[in-house]
Amino acid sequence: MPEPATWVTDPGSALPSTAPAVARADQSGVPDQIADPVFEVRGLDFYYGRHRALQGVDLTIGRHEITALIGPSGCGKTTFLRCLNRMNDLIPGTRVEGDIRFDGRPLYEPDVRAIDIRRRIGMVFQKPNPFPKSIYENVAIAPRVNGQKGKLDDLVEESLTRAALWGEVKDKLKASAFSLSGGQQQRLCIARAIAVKPEVILMDEPCSALDPLATIRIEELMCGLKQDYTIVVVTHNMQEAARVSDRTAFFTVEETDAGRTGVLVECGTTRKMFTSPSDQRTDDYITGRFG
Amino acid sequence: MQGRRTLTDRAFWAVCGVAFIFIAAPSVAILVTVIHQAWPALGWQLFTQRTNALGIQNAILGTLLLLLGVLIVAGTVGVAAGIYLAEYASGRSEASLRFCSEVLAGMPSIVIGYIGYITLVYEFHWQYSLAAAVLALSALVTPYILKTTEVSLRQLPTTLREGTAGLGMPKSSSLRRILLPAALPGIMSGLIVALAISTGELAPLLFTANFTDSNPTLHLFHHSVPYLTGVVYTDLSQPGQRYHATSAAAGLMSIVILIILIGLGRVVSSRSRRQTERMTL
Repeated sequence: MPEPATWVTDPGSALPSTAPAVARADQSGVPDQIADPVFEVRGLDFYYGRHRALQGVDLTIGRHEITALIGPSGCGKTTFLRCLNRMNDLIPGTRVEGDIRFDGRPLYEPDVRAIDIRRRIGMVFQKPNPFPKSIYENVAIAPRVNGQKGKLDDLVEESLTRAALWGEVKDKLKASAFSLSGGQQQRLCIARAIAVKPEVILMDEPCSALDPLATIRIEELMCGLKQDYTIVVVTHNMQEAARVSDRTAFFTVEETDAGRTGVLVECGTTRKMFTSPSDQRTDDYITGRFG
Repeated sequence: MQGRRTLTDRAFWAVCGVAFIFIAAPSVAILVTVIHQAWPALGWQLFTQRTNALGIQNAILGTLLLLLGVLIVAGTVGVAAGIYLAEYASGRSEASLRFCSEVLAGMPSIVIGYIGYITLVYEFHWQYSLAAAVLALSALVTPYILKTTEVSLRQLPTTLREGTAGLGMPKSSSLRRILLPAALPGIMSGLIVALAISTGELAPLLFTANFTDSNPTLHLFHHSVPYLTGVVYTDLSQPGQRYHATSAAAGLMSIVILIILIGLGRVVSSRSRRQTERMTL
């Protein structure tokens, strides 16, 4: 089995890969190694029909950290993100090979139900996609479907508060979700995800459709949510990755004999990735030489 | 240059004008002729008397009853099949259902009426009846309802589906609570078109409902049903001004029902348009 990328990002480290994570930390306080992994991905290949979109991805994602996935268009970072909560199951003709473990258990076993997984691993999409319902209903609907009975007022208030939206909407909970601005809609989508009480929140370029001020608010929100949730975020914006994430994984596209396919180049603490990456390709991308 | 542009502009407007006249003239002509011919018969007796006297009360009630039946039968079957095609079907079952629906959609109504006659009326011994008439009309309009249901579900943004899936909502609840309510305006307009078609049909009813001068009953079998297009057809072939006027009045009444249905469709589809505009942001 290939050595996991997260554990080989620091060639200067003399520590064995099983050493406790607190042993070394860079100046930002993020340890080099992950002590408490949520996801352990080994040898992941992903296919759309016969086309291989991802090849040999090894990546570990730590609990209560923000991991950013960056890379040029078409490098498979969104595909990778959607493997983590089995969203790709919805696309006919897709296939996953390799091993993804979530809390130590294989994610793609036949007895694991995708619905149960998605309740534990929430998702926020690129474009805010509130349901055509009231603000209140947007937050309350999934818990209600999942079997929560009675008044959900407290849960709705708590979720909206955590998503930093309560103050702006508390007087118009019955109004349509479409009456909100784009940034507010995206925070509503985050509140909607939080209401299901997930352990992980996956975000697919959550700020790409928002203006700079709305972007800042979402980024602040992400940093606050880190206390309770593990966050994996795909972003096109390298400044954003640098601002919010603890760890950064860099994907790129490679020409192989089987066509263009996405590969993980390296993953390390964000500080290290942006100051002294191990791989020349990462350096080229970060300094803007391509992508 | 300027002159050529003006000329092209005028030519274009002229073509548009001709097209407008081609569409507007027949509908205005029909409306004017029907009102003119129906004029002597117009009066409250149309609603208070039956076709054995000077009214068309029984035919109006019969048509409304048939529309209700079509709404229940074709509405249920069409919407259910549309949901199945849009959300669940795949492979052979999808292909065969789609093929059958398209064949049915292209079937001449008189053939549907005749098949309804030899199976339902004759073989099943239902005789001319409400059940046979409703089934024949439903077979005629179900493909429209199926198609509009399928299309309005399919054109919902993918992000909506992904949103429900991302929250771990099962497909059934996602359909019931999010997708169907969002697709409802489109489905409603399909139902309204189906009812409008049913209002104007004659051929399937001649074979399955026959006609009667009595008011319609709720008996499903063995009782003939009166309907407006039947009055138009039979009274027109009777000798005498009075019959021709009643025939035109029945035609006018179907047009009124049609206009009410089209108006309802307008209201519903404009609501639908507003909603989709908001959804795509």
